[in-house]
Amino acid sequence: MTATSEPPRNAVPDPGERGVFAPPSSFRMPWGQATDARIDASTLPDDIVLSVRDLTVAYRVRRGTVKAVRRISFDLRRGETLALIGESGSGKTTVALALVRLLVRAARITDGSVVYRRGARAVDVLRLGAAGLRHYRWNECAMVFQSALNALNPVIRVRDQFLDVAKAHGMTDRRAAEARALELLRLVQLDADRVAGSYPHELSGGMRQRVLIAMGLLLDPQVIILDEPTTALDILTQRTVIDLLRRLKGERQFALVLVSHDLALAAELADQVATVYAGRIVECGTVADMFYNPHHPYTLGLLNAVPTLSGDFRALDSVRGQPPDLIDLPPGCAFRPRCPFGTDECEATDPEVATVDPARSGVAGAGGHVVACLHADAVAKTFDRHASAARK
Amino acid sequence: MVAASPTLAKPADARASLFEGWRALADNYVARRIGKAVLTIWAVATMTFFLVRLMPGNPVEQFIGQLIAQYQLPYAEARDQAASLFAIDLDQPVYLQYFSFLGKLAQGDLGTSIKSQGVKVTSIIVAFLPWTLFCVGISLFISFGLGIILGALMAYWRGSVLDYSLTTFGSLLHSIPNYLIAMILIIFLGVRWELLPVVKMRGSMSPGIQPGFTLVFVLDVLFHAALPILTYVVTTVGTWMLTMKASTTATLEEDYVNFARAKGLTDGRIRTAYVGRNAILPLFTQLTLSIGFVFGGSVLIESIFVYRGIGTILVSAVSGRDYPVMQGCFLITTASVVFANLLADLLYGYVDPRVRVGQ
Ligand SMILES: Nc1ncnc2c1ncn2[C@@H]1O[C@H](COP(=O)(O)OP(=O)(O)O)[C@@H](O)[C@H]1O
Ligand code: SF4
Ligand SMILES: [Mg+2]
Repeated sequence: MTATSEPPRNAVPDPGERGVFAPPSSFRMPWGQATDARIDASTLPDDIVLSVRDLTVAYRVRRGTVKAVRRISFDLRRGETLALIGESGSGKTTVALALVRLLVRAARITDGSVVYRRGARAVDVLRLGAAGLRHYRWNECAMVFQSALNALNPVIRVRDQFLDVAKAHGMTDRRAAEARALELLRLVQLDADRVAGSYPHELSGGMRQRVLIAMGLLLDPQVIILDEPTTALDILTQRTVIDLLRRLKGERQFALVLVSHDLALAAELADQVATVYAGRIVECGTVADMFYNPHHPYTLGLLNAVPTLSGDFRALDSVRGQPPDLIDLPPGCAFRPRCPFGTDECEATDPEVATVDPARSGVAGAGGHVVACLHADAVAKTFDRHASAARK
Repeated sequence: MVAASPTLAKPADARASLFEGWRALADNYVARRIGKAVLTIWAVATMTFFLVRLMPGNPVEQFIGQLIAQYQLPYAEARDQAASLFAIDLDQPVYLQYFSFLGKLAQGDLGTSIKSQGVKVTSIIVAFLPWTLFCVGISLFISFGLGIILGALMAYWRGSVLDYSLTTFGSLLHSIPNYLIAMILIIFLGVRWELLPVVKMRGSMSPGIQPGFTLVFVLDVLFHAALPILTYVVTTVGTWMLTMKASTTATLEEDYVNFARAKGLTDGRIRTAYVGRNAILPLFTQLTLSIGFVFGGSVLIESIFVYRGIGTILVSAVSGRDYPVMQGCFLITTASVVFANLLADLLYGYVDPRVRVGQ
């Protein structure tokens, strides 16, 4: 069984009751787009809040089509953290932006579905109309951008940026919204009153990142997406933010999609880890799966790139060479040109995502362990050998 | 050294505190900035003073010669008359004349006109400046408002027909001098197509109209100011438009704008508080400077339409060698531009918190 062999959960319009989202089901935007994209939630397991299937995104550029995301599928479980890990340019940010439909104009979602679910109700995010989308963003799914340092409006005080969000989502009681903003700023360990009265340029990078995290919690979204939350920060501030996120994860109930190039960050915060290469999830499993039983050469390479105290796995190559050109992908497995395990077979077939352990779920992110490699078993054995050798 | 220090401490402290006070004043941005503005105006006033008096064939001497030739006045009498007109005592050494000039200037006394003898320069300026302020002020208002709206639309609809046509139109207008536009308007609207009674529209108001807050008067004033306003708007709107387009286009790419969308803010709020507010910042300094230049009017536009503003006065003063009036016009223009500049610097901190100054 493979993750992608599941029947696609496409939109099943249900004209009966009203959806999660404010506008009535009959409401249509002036430009004729249906705002009601509600679908039947019963096909989704109870604990899944976000279900992505075969998501495919391409950028049209002068030179051709950048296949930035290729048939990515995963589930996000309630309250869990899924880390998307990959080199720069592997398509992580594109996936994250697609989840909140904020891709640039040159980008097209050519295939796939994104289903968001709260309780008994679910919506097809890619079919949401303008009003439904506005409600979904931040209220249900808060995405904090990679460039967090420049994400706040420079001419508006932090307090008013909180109030902007509150007002946009119908929190009309200004006093209550402000009190909640201050409470959240305290929660992320900031001097709430001072920070609320500050302009963004008066805050350090780490403070701004924490302001954004607090802002993300303002409406109690079920899903938070953080794109490279620590990349722009110095090493000490990174520590503060990581500790903060870990604490918040324990205290608040939200599912987190953590996008990073740093496997070590995933080890600290994630429940599930997916490695992304050339727009595909090449391996996904629990933290234990990925660190102690990796099955994809790329995961191995990334593991080696993680500094370890004992200097393990020296014998394995770290990821050598350059990422492929996403406009003109190599035939077969995209990792082939850099892969120490590659064979001629790999050039003929692009491996599908397949489950490693048939006893477990076959879906990425939902507790399963999946890998897209023709020689996954050989890779796992090699890792085992080196790991036990290093243990001795 | 150590033993001596207590005795030395007192005077050193006093001097230090005086110095500290001076330093605090010099470090105070606002005080420094106002000082600079006053200094600039003083420098310009000084320059005009010495230019008028010390250059070879200076206007005072020329005027004395003119009086002698014209009215056969004896030299002494001609000299007295000249002195009273220029509001200077020619018998005084130059530096004393200069101080008395500055003293009078500080009281707002700019001397008397040579052409219309006995009329104070200040009263001439007071009589003509409002027309210029009205005409150029309204033009600036329309031009700026129209420019930022069109510029923002062009940025939002990049690549549309509207964008292309306005860009072409804007850069074309931007490069045509305003007197050419004025003449084109007269030739086509007035002469060729006879759409407008351009001859009747000359001047600032129709003869016989009673000034006052009456509808007739206001409409008449607008009727006469219409062509200068149109010319001014047409020649300046392109610049505002293109600047605003560039600025909005850049702002639309900013992370905080995209992030505002991620936060589910309404389009209206994003367009005003996130895009508009930030896009307009680079235009602010330019706007305040333009406000300063409103006081100078436009010499060419006013003389082509025979509009009775400060520009017309300046032209007739130049052609009639009416130095005190010229001096007054220049001073008014300089002072208003300098003060507009000052205002821009002081207010900029309020529109852009990033440059807000401490203290
Ligand atoms: N606006 C864009 N226009 C064209 N190509 C883009 C754009 N944004 C990203 N890409 C391309 O898409 C691929 C994935 O980029 P991205 O999602 O930003 O990767 P990551 O976040 O993993 O670094 C890259 O090859 C990048 O060049
Ligand atoms: S399929 Fe072949 S080339 Fe691709 S990762 Fe596996 S071994 Fe390497
Ligand atoms: Mg990225």
